[in-house]
Amino acid sequence: MRILGIESSCDETAAAVVDSEGVVRSSVVASQLDVHGKYGGVVPELASREHLRAIVVVVRDALAQAEARLEDLAAIAVTEGPGLVGSLLVGITYAKALAFAADKPLIAVNHLEGHIHAAVLEARRRGQPVEFPALALVVSGGHTHLYAVQEDFRYRLLGRTRDDAAGEAYDKVAKLLGFGYPGGPTLDRLAPFGDPERFRFSLAKMKGNALDFSFSGLKTAVLRWVEARELAGEIQARRELLRGGGRPGLEAWLRATPQETLDLIACFQRTVIEELMRRVRVSAAEIGARAILITGGVAGNAGLRETAARAIAGVPVHFPTPELSTDNAAMIAAAAFPKLLRGERAGFELTAKANLGL
Amino acid sequence: MPAFEYKTNSEEETTSLGVLLAQHITPPAVVVLIGKLGAGKTALVKGFVKGLGVAEPEEVSSPTFPLIHEYGKPVRVYHVDLYRLETEEEVAGIGFEELFDRPALVLIEWGERFPNLMPMPRVEIDMEVTGETSRTIRVRTVQ
Repeated sequence: MRILGIESSCDETAAAVVDSEGVVRSSVVASQLDVHGKYGGVVPELASREHLRAIVVVVRDALAQAEARLEDLAAIAVTEGPGLVGSLLVGITYAKALAFAADKPLIAVNHLEGHIHAAVLEARRRGQPVEFPALALVVSGGHTHLYAVQEDFRYRLLGRTRDDAAGEAYDKVAKLLGFGYPGGPTLDRLAPFGDPERFRFSLAKMKGNALDFSFSGLKTAVLRWVEARELAGEIQARRELLRGGGRPGLEAWLRATPQETLDLIACFQRTVIEELMRRVRVSAAEIGARAILITGGVAGNAGLRETAARAIAGVPVHFPTPELSTDNAAMIAAAAFPKLLRGERAGFELTAKANLGL
Repeated sequence: MPAFEYKTNSEEETTSLGVLLAQHITPPAVVVLIGKLGAGKTALVKGFVKGLGVAEPEEVSSPTFPLIHEYGKPVRVYHVDLYRLETEEEVAGIGFEELFDRPALVLIEWGERFPNLMPMPRVEIDMEVTGETSRTIRVRTVQ
């Protein structure tokens, strides 16, 4: 039994075919990163135009690579939200048309649920299926959410960011330091070269739900740190490096970044990871988690992976593969299987839900 | 509304000011929030959302990535963040101007970077960082 998944909620136009054994038969992602890199961020109008341009080819490639025909599919799944309305609509409209033409069930998937299934898929592939209840941390540029996940894939929100998402904090700190967009991964690569104990950033205590996150204060603290020093020269030098075209390698970044700034980056990274992991530990204990899932774009962060792997004795931590950490459609198809089995179908009135919660 | 000046000493006070301002700046209206990173723009939006009774302050997070967050059913508050956009074409492309036709309060961060696209009349709220947690907040109508 195979499901075709379609995802277009933000940067990526993606399609994938996943079978009921959890095997990813194909996963095609037309990354728009290069288009957006020029503009310093996701450009929605551009995004929906690019989605429109890519979607037919991406779906065709996904079916071809899986050696699947439309009529062989058990269902067609698509992301209904959250995300940019214009971008979501491209995927939804195309999925509806395919479902109608091929007379297949249409299944609506929450993007956040998709991310959780990316980690579930990888655990299954490695022969270490996720045990429940599981704790899921979805952490990306737009999300920092903690969920309790039951075996039947019902979710309970335990905590979420009250201001910036973790990935957003990474990208804003990277941008203010002159590392361009998306700069989070660059900071992760540079962090091992700094001293993570050199500077301390005190974070405000959380009022209300102690499992909520806040990264705005840390971002502001980094801004103050930068403003208190004469960094204009090095920041300008790094911006020049980006202007030269191409993607500067690690060596080039290291040459353009003095030790004190590397120490700052290491301390920033350590602080973010500590904030994430403290809540993971507390909430995992609270729900009696038998597995931890860390997923979303920031799940690709090497520092986070290393710390998380040894965070909690006796509880396995599952990450998606790097390909399935960032937005993709295999996770959307995978998340659709339990819905198909439960008979959850979407009607043709399905529309984009910008602020859909899970 | 003439110009007003407020001083707040914590993030909570900034949110409380938002609750107060929501009694005077009611939908439909456009508010441009001006202040650097960490000035408390999102904290003020939390107050507006609470003051209008459309969501709890904890539910309000930064819209930098998705660009627009909506609150209320039907939508009474749009929280827009143009931080990542570079050109007027890009801003126009998010269906930005359509928001102004709706019976909603449109709160815009980083809108001052695109002065040609900001509608009249509008309210501008300047948030100046005067200390670790203190802010001077000036509210004025532009028309």
